Amino acid sequence: MSAPGSATLRVDRLTVRYGGRTALSDVSLEARPGELVALTGPNGSGKSTLLRAVMGLIEPQGGAVVVEGANVPDLELVERARRVAWAPQEEPVGENVSILEYVRYGRHPYLAPFANEGPADHAAVERALRRVDFWEERGRGIAELSGGERQRVRLARVLAQETPLLLLDEPTAFLDIGHQLDALERVRSIARDERRSAVVALHDLNLAARFADRIVVLSHGRCVAAGTPEEVLSPELLADVWGIVADLRRDPATGLPYLVPVLPMDRPPLAGAARPRPMARVHVIAGGGSGAELIPRLAREGFEVSVGAVHLFDSDAELGERLGVAMATETPFTAISPPVAEHLRSLLEACDAIVVAPVPTGSGNLANWSIVAEWAGRRPIALLPMPRDLPWDFTGGAAARLREGILRSGGEELPGVEDVVRWLRIRLADGATRTASRP
Amino acid sequence: MRLLVPAIVAGLFALLVGSTALGSVPIPAATTISIFFHELTGGALPPAACSASVATHQCSIWIEIVWQARVPSLLLALVAGAALALTGGSLQGIFRNPLADPFLLGLSSGAALGAAAIFVLDIDPAHQATILPVAAFLGGIVPGTVIYLAARFSRRGPAVLILSGVALSTFFSAILSAMLLYNPASDVSLNFWLLGSLGSTSWSDDGLVAGVTLVLGAILYLRAREINLLQLGPEVAQSLGVRPERTVQWTVLLTTAITATAVAFTGIIGFVGLIAPHIVRRLAGVDYRRVLPLGALMGGIVLLVAWDVAVAAIPPVVIPVGIPTAFIGAPFLIYLLYRRRAPGGSAADA
Repeated sequence: MSAPGSATLRVDRLTVRYGGRTALSDVSLEARPGELVALTGPNGSGKSTLLRAVMGLIEPQGGAVVVEGANVPDLELVERARRVAWAPQEEPVGENVSILEYVRYGRHPYLAPFANEGPADHAAVERALRRVDFWEERGRGIAELSGGERQRVRLARVLAQETPLLLLDEPTAFLDIGHQLDALERVRSIARDERRSAVVALHDLNLAARFADRIVVLSHGRCVAAGTPEEVLSPELLADVWGIVADLRRDPATGLPYLVPVLPMDRPPLAGAARPRPMARVHVIAGGGSGAELIPRLAREGFEVSVGAVHLFDSDAELGERLGVAMATETPFTAISPPVAEHLRSLLEACDAIVVAPVPTGSGNLANWSIVAEWAGRRPIALLPMPRDLPWDFTGGAAARLREGILRSGGEELPGVEDVVRWLRIRLADGATRTASRP
Repeated sequence: MRLLVPAIVAGLFALLVGSTALGSVPIPAATTISIFFHELTGGALPPAACSASVATHQCSIWIEIVWQARVPSLLLALVAGAALALTGGSLQGIFRNPLADPFLLGLSSGAALGAAAIFVLDIDPAHQATILPVAAFLGGIVPGTVIYLAARFSRRGPAVLILSGVALSTFFSAILSAMLLYNPASDVSLNFWLLGSLGSTSWSDDGLVAGVTLVLGAILYLRAREINLLQLGPEVAQSLGVRPERTVQWTVLLTTAITATAVAFTGIIGFVGLIAPHIVRRLAGVDYRRVLPLGALMGGIVLLVAWDVAVAAIPPVVIPVGIPTAFIGAPFLIYLLYRRRAPGGSAADA
């Protein structure tokens, strides 16, 4: 039907308007045989509309949708149904037919009015059901299936249509993470094995990056990026399209890029969430990952967090940097130098409370303890317990002695991060601490 | 499952034959049954119809009663029941509404009003049999259009469609009553139209209803697979090659004609179209390629049973057949309304 290497689907400058609103404008994309193209973008960006327009369910105002050389709007409905199969995000449950009967619905475009399914139809239905591992259970009723099972059965219905092009609208919606991976893995291997093209609308960029050969990003009905996951995924794209700050990482197992969203400091995490006292400052002594839970939690609670002294490239230093908090940082593998110590003192001077994480201590960061000891009695100090089963003090007991001293002169040991948050709320609620200790 | 169709057909036939024994004139069952087979085979079977103790004169009257009065009524019950069940089943399908029924949607009373107008207008009785179904169809077009538009433009759930149908039905019945009350000259009883009757029919009437139901039912059956796909929603149906609008339009048009033809000869009989398809779904699943034909047979059975009850309840009076159907149908409707998930699917997710 089509020349090798040519596209199964070619969407060319497609424009769709609903009433007065432009839902899609000038969108172009291609899908080649064996390829999984992920369509992604925020809610309302036009993903579902694009799939519907390709299926021919919506009349476009401009542009072309060409499937295997034929313009979809010009085709009879039955002809369309033999070339393009579409699965919506949600479907009415309908009658409680058996899985087998349900998947047979996919053969409708091949049947003459009075005819029943023939051998070719039965074979296609069996292939589709085996592909999703439901052949043995074909007698069950579809109303009894779980959400994940229903998605798989729907996939089988679409496969039974034996079309070169598959359109799947959010096939992972309402699925847990295991079923999400399973569903997309199936779609990808089907596309590859059977040389079909799949265009899949996906909310989740990381799933898209993991399974798609190419990603097309829609925003406000326009195509804003297209290419391999490698080419498309960037923190800038997330900032522009989704309005969030994210870190680009690489999955060590697959080598594929993935994004970790980060909550920006200048925006409250939950709109309208009450903060104990806006802009109360909390300084955290951390390092070596000991602040991994504590620092982001305090930031989320709305405290203005500072961190230090930590060594550059320490994981807590990177965390602090990503959160954009004030930090006293030292060069790696050197002891805390006088200028950094001064910086730390100024941070402690400015803060309302100090929290000491279970930080492993060596000669490099011993000064943290002695400097915090200077503030004992002048600021509320909370200390998280040190690990019992692991050595943490590599200073021959100096750090442990300083810790004892802090505890004796008013420092409080609290069992966990949750207790620290509660303690801070109480200690900082009256607002007295900061003013009292300031000239 | 494989025995279901023979079982239903056999049950239907047995019921038909056995029912010949019921009527205001007492005739032994053995006699009516032997008359039935004697006449059915065109006299091939021995006329054991009347025993030696019965006078020949008496016997020929019995044959007349059984073959020219009782059997035509039973056959009308069969074909009218089939017509109503076809209508109910396919409308339940296209509207994804388990409550759809020609009576509840106002189709029957619209058709009855159209047909009754012919009597009131005093048209030459010679033409009545042919004009009657046409007039009934014209009367059915109004509620047919209304329910089509209501289903298309209202997304308020299954009960609303039925309530508008009931409102229409009440309205048409009121006009019908007024018309017949102000035309005392008309020799047709109000009860005949409002509660249905199978009593005054002939072989030719039966043939007309059967022919129309069979031909239009076959055309309707061509849409059965499309009705299946409509259960997945109009968009999915379209993606599979179905034009949902066209399926709905054809179905409403055909069922209006089928119902109108039956109603023209039986008056308004409620609930048969509601009950029969639901029984078949229980027995044979929800594929409309089975629901429609088996539903038609089941409709015949239901209306035959109702007619038997109407004849046998308080002899020698024959009560209107709409009374027994309402006795079964109304509680059944309430049951469907209160059940959480109805087989039509949309009761819960509307």
